[in-house]
Amino acid sequence: MAYGYEDTLAGRSDIGAVVSFTGLVRDFNETPDVTALTLEHYPGMTERTLKEIGEQAWQRWSLQAVRIIHRVGYLEPGDPIVRVLVASAHRREAFKACDFIMDFLKTQAPFWKKEHSTQGEYWVKERHSDQQDAERWR
Amino acid sequence: MHLTHLNTRGEANMVDVGDKQETRREAVASGRIVMQPETLKLLSEGELPKGDVLATARIAGIQAAKRTHELIPLCHSLALSKVSVEFDIDLAESCVHVTSLCRLNGRTGVEMEALTAVSVACLTLYDMCKAVDKGMRIEAIQLDSKQGGQRGDYQRMSAQAPIVTGDGVAGEVSLGERCPSPCVRVKFLAELRERVGESEAVVSLDQLASRDISGLKAALAEQDSRFKQLTDQRTLCAINQVMANDDALVTDDDEVAFFPPVTGG
Repeated sequence: MAYGYEDTLAGRSDIGAVVSFTGLVRDFNETPDVTALTLEHYPGMTERTLKEIGEQAWQRWSLQAVRIIHRVGYLEPGDPIVRVLVASAHRREAFKACDFIMDFLKTQAPFWKKEHSTQGEYWVKERHSDQQDAERWR
Repeated sequence: MHLTHLNTRGEANMVDVGDKQETRREAVASGRIVMQPETLKLLSEGELPKGDVLATARIAGIQAAKRTHELIPLCHSLALSKVSVEFDIDLAESCVHVTSLCRLNGRTGVEMEALTAVSVACLTLYDMCKAVDKGMRIEAIQLDSKQGGQRGDYQRMSAQAPIVTGDGVAGEVSLGERCPSPCVRVKFLAELRERVGESEAVVSLDQLASRDISGLKAALAEQDSRFKQLTDQRTLCAINQVMANDDALVTDDDEVAFFPPVTGG
């Protein structure tokens, strides 16, 4: 079975659980016919923010490995945008940490989506629910 | 990746398409011909000696698409179900944009037909206008999109907004050019950049009434009324790539970025 994170597990027997989240481009969002999106970011701050979010998760829970991958540029429906991988001894901590990382990534990391649809292109608006999700951890 | 028009010995080879499925194929190509503004004016007013330039070029482009196989050695002869050639007169760029769409239900793609239609329409425009302007340039002939076929769809990326906003790498602040007197370098990102119509600005520290973010916003608004939008509640700010609020202090050579709420993930 291929997991896509064999290198994280290689040579380790202390990891009891791996939770992985992958976010994909949908073909519907603010308009029904999204044909593609362009992700802009703020180079430098992006890497720094993702590292900080990972470190916060590391401090809150007992984790064995954290990996965050985010793509930028031109993406089409079905393409992966983001992957978060968390490994820990027990599943509960891995589930929580993965959830936490995504909530903070969506509200803190400097990425912006521009959607291209059959009706033209526009910048995606932030969601109030994402802010509320992040507040849960404070 | 290999070239289907070469055989294993590297010789030219016409691809056998007999076993391929018939699918709906479509391709759009575009190009432009740049000319003197006076030439473009004559063209758009129908004052050129050879008569209706665009109608002639349109017919030439359509005819060319149908005869692509006679010009390009390894192209198949195709029964196109649709060929269109459109022109867009662009006074600002002083050029005519040419776009062609070709379509058929068949076993091979129609991108060569669309590209040939654009090329020959441009050549005809040149021929029709050359009496008054020999310096015209045919430019940027390219495939914009294609649909259908086993290699899947293709869509040229629009080269409008930059994807990234600087060349900084992890943990480093991109320095850019240093200013001679103490200053801060300001960046505008994403939707905010498009809204204010600027990606960067430099503000001398002497211009700041207070040496913090609110002072910087005020100084920018004074420079240009478009920057008044920075006081919008939704606008976020980072100093040297760390989130900051209005009271945060700015010092010489800081990089300050303004941007809208983030929407990644």
